[in-house]
Amino acid sequence: MSVRERITRDHVGGALMAAVGVAVAVAANGYRIGSLRAMGSGFFPLVLGVLLALVGIAIVATTPLRPPAPRETAPATTHGSVDLRAWLCILGSVLAFVVLGRHGGLVPASFVSVFIAAMGDRENTARDAAWLAVAMTVFGVIVFHYGLHVLLPLFAW
Amino acid sequence: MHDSLMQLWYGFGIALQPENLMWSVFGVLVGNLIGVLPGMGPLSTISMLLPLTYVIAPVPAILMLAGIFYGSQYGGAIGAILLNLPSHPPHAVTCLDGYPLTLRGRGGAALGITMMASFFAASVGIVVMIFLSPVLVDVAAKFGPSDICAIMLLGLLAGATMARGSPLKGVAMTIVGLLCGVAGTDPMNGTRRYTFGLTDLADGIELGALCMGLFAVADFLVSVNRTTLHPGHAKVRMRDMRPSRQELRQAFWPMIRGTGVGTAFGALPGTGPTITTFIAYALERRWAKDPSRFGHGALEGVAAPEAASHSKTQVDFIPTMSLGIPGDAVMALLLGALILKGVQPGPQLISEHPDIFWGLIASFWIGNVLLVILNVPMIGVWVRMLQVPYRFLFPAALFFIAVGNFSTHNSLFEVLETGALGVLGAVLLMLDFPLSPIVLGFVLGPMLEENFRRAMLLSRGDLAVFVERPISACFVGACAVVIAIQFVAWVRRPRGAPAAATLPSE
Repeated sequence: MSVRERITRDHVGGALMAAVGVAVAVAANGYRIGSLRAMGSGFFPLVLGVLLALVGIAIVATTPLRPPAPRETAPATTHGSVDLRAWLCILGSVLAFVVLGRHGGLVPASFVSVFIAAMGDRENTARDAAWLAVAMTVFGVIVFHYGLHVLLPLFAW
Repeated sequence: MHDSLMQLWYGFGIALQPENLMWSVFGVLVGNLIGVLPGMGPLSTISMLLPLTYVIAPVPAILMLAGIFYGSQYGGAIGAILLNLPSHPPHAVTCLDGYPLTLRGRGGAALGITMMASFFAASVGIVVMIFLSPVLVDVAAKFGPSDICAIMLLGLLAGATMARGSPLKGVAMTIVGLLCGVAGTDPMNGTRRYTFGLTDLADGIELGALCMGLFAVADFLVSVNRTTLHPGHAKVRMRDMRPSRQELRQAFWPMIRGTGVGTAFGALPGTGPTITTFIAYALERRWAKDPSRFGHGALEGVAAPEAASHSKTQVDFIPTMSLGIPGDAVMALLLGALILKGVQPGPQLISEHPDIFWGLIASFWIGNVLLVILNVPMIGVWVRMLQVPYRFLFPAALFFIAVGNFSTHNSLFEVLETGALGVLGAVLLMLDFPLSPIVLGFVLGPMLEENFRRAMLLSRGDLAVFVERPISACFVGACAVVIAIQFVAWVRRPRGAPAAATLPSE
């Protein structure tokens, strides 16, 4: 088994934490650090960054190489690789809401964002997604626009 | 003591005011409704409904949030027992025996017992809260900045290390949370830090965006097309919920013992509800004459952990309200919501805002009565809610999240922020990091920094102040004990076996 195959998720996670910690600590130098007696804005983040880096290194150091045996746990805890379709649709839905919220109004933003999100699930057909989007748009207009007076115009272009 | 009873009477007056009562009922109802939906735990439910509180006064807002909390907690038990689906980690234990009971056709009775256990345990927890809080406040009034720092440190450390498997990962997430709290404007001198040049980040990361990103969007990202939910085959009607006399006798003592466990652990900062339910379950199994029944539908295995989690929840409000130091992520979220409303929990809360404190206590009891009244006739509706397919649920929830985050400050930027934090949360989930310490760190971060800087200012930069003052020395000592226990456990860990998590993520 090559070293690459023996790296576990914990190694990646620990390394990521160490990297974030170092980045935060370096950025803290851009603010006034001060002394213990009179701390500047950079002091607290600097301490946290160094601590995070140390904890990250400790995670990597204490995790044995060799991937753990496949775990038989509840489906909710076995997060493997990225499901590309779900990710694209969910993030696309958020983005669509932001863009259409500004340049379209509540109605198009609701319809499009619900439709895109629904298409992220492989079991949903375009027709299912459209019906769900229509239902949520009607609900959203009644509850959010007329009920709670959310400050998004129904249509705006 | 007489004084507390008078105050409580006053609290009932507050909680029963029509406006307050209305929001309380609304919170319990909506919390229960959303909590029943698969995958919606109290954290995501509260964060989704957080924007609603911005438009109402502080007292009804906190009453509503508390209602949402125990409503969703109760709703979660329904999914755990009928579908084997723990939306809220403490219910993972309830599944062990609750679901086998459903398979045997006694799911209704298990729900009935759960309801009784919750009500009894919550009532005990409320009584403890009434008499313990004023005592704690008297003590807390003597706390200086260094003492508060030391207590926060213990809470953070305990919350990070006791949640599940790898304590180091919990600590890492706590620090990430503290760092999220740093972003924005420095409270002491107004310098903007870690805003990446974005003016929208000058006020810091939004609590609602953080929680919805981490607990809802991140969860959708890792669950869609990955989780297959089994449609419920449970048909529960109202009359099924009445347990038989023998079942009642079986569940009575476990309920008392569970309540005791929950109350005892409630006062300890940082011990989450999950670990409490596990301890209650383990205790029952040790106590039982025939431990082999556990896991195959032992009613004791449902009654004890549910009682423990509900009494723990109530007692948890004591440090949250009287010290301003939350015990777990849900409490941190409630605390954050109070701060957003301009109410700073802490020793002064009871004297400055007696309406909030005593009104909240009274509303707990009213809320728990409401839960019983609501759940018996509505059980048929809840069972049908459980069958809403995930493929319809998550797009609708995502839409609510988008609108909710927008409406917080009428800012589309915050919707984007939620999406970005969702990606962060999903990456961390895939790397097996626990997410709830982030919220604890995020809420406590600014308070910790402020108190630390103030303590250092007062002591002229002398760190020895933390061990010289008796109160902070005690808590620093407790921190050292927590670290020592973890270290010993690590040294003595079984070799060869991977350090697998025994507790589900919290």
